[in-house]
Amino acid sequence: MSEEILTVENLKKYFVTKQGTVRAVDSVSFSVKQGETCGLVGESGSGKTTIAHTLVGIYEPTEGKAFFKGQNISKVFSQRPKTLKKEIRIVFQDPGSSLNPRRSIKQILELPLKVHRICSNSDRMGRVMQLLRMVELPPEDYMYKSPQVIGGGEKQMVAIARALAPNPSFVVLDEPTSALDVSVQAKIINLLMKLQQNFNLTYLFITHDLSLMRNVASRVVIMYLGKISEVAPTVEFFQNPLHPYTKMLLSSIPAVSDEEESLKPKEVLSRGEIPSPVNVPPGCSFHLRCPQKMEICSQVDPTMVEVEKDHLVRCHLFSDGREAT
Amino acid sequence: MTPLLEIKNLHVRFKIYEGELKVLNGVDMVIGEGEKVGLVGETGCGKTTTIKSVLRVLPTPPARISGGEIIYRGKDILKMKSAEIRSLRRGEMSAIFQDPLAALNPVFTVGHQLQDVIKYSSRVGGREHLSKKEIRARSIAVLKETGMPDSERILSNYPIQLSGGMRQRVCISEALSAAARLLMADEPTTNLDVTIQAQILRQLNELVAKRKPSILLISHSLGVVRNLTERVYVMYAGNMVEVARTKDLFADPLHPYAKALLKSVPKLTGEGISRGIRGRIPNYLNPPSGCRFHPRCDHAMPICEKERPTFFTTGDSDSHKVACFLYRR
Ligand SMILES: Nc1ncnc2c1ncn2[C@@H]1O[C@H](COP(=O)(O)OP(=O)(O)OP(=O)(O)O)[C@@H](O)[C@H]1O
Ligand SMILES: Nc1ncnc2c1ncn2[C@@H]1O[C@H](COP(=O)(O)OP(=O)(O)OP(=O)(O)O)[C@@H](O)[C@H]1O
Ligand code: SF4
Ligand code: SF4
Ligand SMILES: [Mg+2]
Ligand SMILES: [Mg+2]
Repeated sequence: MSEEILTVENLKKYFVTKQGTVRAVDSVSFSVKQGETCGLVGESGSGKTTIAHTLVGIYEPTEGKAFFKGQNISKVFSQRPKTLKKEIRIVFQDPGSSLNPRRSIKQILELPLKVHRICSNSDRMGRVMQLLRMVELPPEDYMYKSPQVIGGGEKQMVAIARALAPNPSFVVLDEPTSALDVSVQAKIINLLMKLQQNFNLTYLFITHDLSLMRNVASRVVIMYLGKISEVAPTVEFFQNPLHPYTKMLLSSIPAVSDEEESLKPKEVLSRGEIPSPVNVPPGCSFHLRCPQKMEICSQVDPTMVEVEKDHLVRCHLFSDGREAT
Repeated sequence: MTPLLEIKNLHVRFKIYEGELKVLNGVDMVIGEGEKVGLVGETGCGKTTTIKSVLRVLPTPPARISGGEIIYRGKDILKMKSAEIRSLRRGEMSAIFQDPLAALNPVFTVGHQLQDVIKYSSRVGGREHLSKKEIRARSIAVLKETGMPDSERILSNYPIQLSGGMRQRVCISEALSAAARLLMADEPTTNLDVTIQAQILRQLNELVAKRKPSILLISHSLGVVRNLTERVYVMYAGNMVEVARTKDLFADPLHPYAKALLKSVPKLTGEGISRGIRGRIPNYLNPPSGCRFHPRCDHAMPICEKERPTFFTTGDSDSHKVACFLYRR
């Protein structure tokens, strides 16, 4: 369980646009252990999807490296070693646009089976049906439908089936259940957990739902504006959040009961404008919204420190000489 | 409260190769003037179909409205001429659609699209004729209102260049800048982190306080619904199965489906993920007879597969209604 399957080192991804350079991911380092579910949470636009797309080879990093099972994967998909291509798969954030509306669901699921030569032509139909059953869509009802005519949630189930088609070992889940109601979400999550056990899958799980994160991830990585602000084991993260952005996140969770309300840190009113990744403010990029900002914060960008074992935070409130590597 | 919108016994079907999907099966719903109403329910139960019927944007075919009425300020939307409904869509009703990438046109910049909306809604209101400069200034202002960083960059970007949450905020900005009397928001905050979500919900609340539009909020985030709405409808497989004041529903859900739904919410206390609800999403080609929930219900009785339960009033207020034979008196 403790072997690292993925290591990301100083990963940067900049987009050059007419309006300037977007520093979508700006020197990010983290690792994911074999068989774990690593949660990735953060501000909208903080670069989570960009990281995900870089890991699966849609983007080439501007700088930095990523290693998967020791192999360098900081290359675009077309240049990757063949064996790696089917190992890392992704479920996209926006199921509506990631499924081709002009194909039937059967055709959509057949494609990865053909590309990665997963089964013989005669077994393919059976495998498609098996994949659909895995995500609880009765094959006879769904196989010949176009993704256009099914609900948002059903689309995401198809997307999950498509990701799992070539038997990957690492799956990036980019908000896989944000389109689903909680009871269907529960089923999908149970299913994902079961599949993880059966096939020893490793997940990088991106979500905005912290209550969900609380229940699925073993470790949580928090991002703000292209950088990591805190990393902690899940339980520690909820019991002892350190970074002011993390506290703001936790206190903004819309609770469903008074009991939950009482578990949140006391209300830190979320306010202020999110700075732009084109024009990153000097110092700590959170200082425009931070209720605890100090003078140094607008001048010097803090570095990561390990406050406790496996609990890292990047904030001047904690950087009194205990600098980590 | 005077109703702004009243949906009565709405039936909608979709024609597909194998036959007809009988999706909406007699939907009843009332939204009062200035009221904030929530709509929750299983994936695929027909929430989006319901608001698309109200806006009359369902593709027909394959969709067919096979019965019912949608009364908006005394007039049946289903009987309106297309010019009339179009002017309603521009001037009075606005919607935030679920799938922001699909709602935005990929070949135009965000600025182009947003400015179009602003231009239209100011024209339909009839009063203003805005100059290009004013329109641009206003578009920057509405983007800022949703907490969007550098609005100027966003305006010249194409939808594909934005993050999911940014696209969603563009859609929210469009909806907020249309002069709305009825705002229908289909999963407006699913792609946003909770701090921005909280900011946007506060803005929606301010908008309500200022302009008093009615709001229909569809969301899978029950916490958001609990925080923003006054009354909630629970929908299952094309029927409303329960309606109650928001706090009553969360404190004491009655319908077996509503109970199971609330139990499935992942808890911050971290007791694991529930198993969800046994059985499958119903097949709309041949939906279950009677109460459509009966194949999955632990309390099903013989009558449940024979008759469709209508709303029964429970408790001492008539605001809490449930369509389940367990509550028939
Ligand atoms: N192809 C692109 N060209 C230019 N800018 C881009 C591109 N893709 C992403 N960006 C920018 O990079 C930043 C990070 O976007 P990303 O999609 O990674 O965010 P995210 O963390 O996934 O956000 P969300 O939670 O909203 O999905 C945003 O400012 C976005 O506008
Ligand atoms: N254009 C269409 N053609 C055929 N069937 C359709 C079409 N649009 C919707 N449906 C069917 O109608 C049902 C209800 O869909 P709808 O999008 O209204 O659900 P929803 O409640 O909004 O779900 P979600 O929570 O996933 O957004 C689905 O089962 C879907 O398959
Ligand atoms: S470094 Fe300063 S501004 Fe940044 S989070 Fe810490 S206290 Fe706030
Ligand atoms: S009417 Fe019958 S089947 Fe339907 S929810 Fe009530 S008890 Fe269950
Ligand atoms: Mg994203
Ligand atoms: Mg929908």
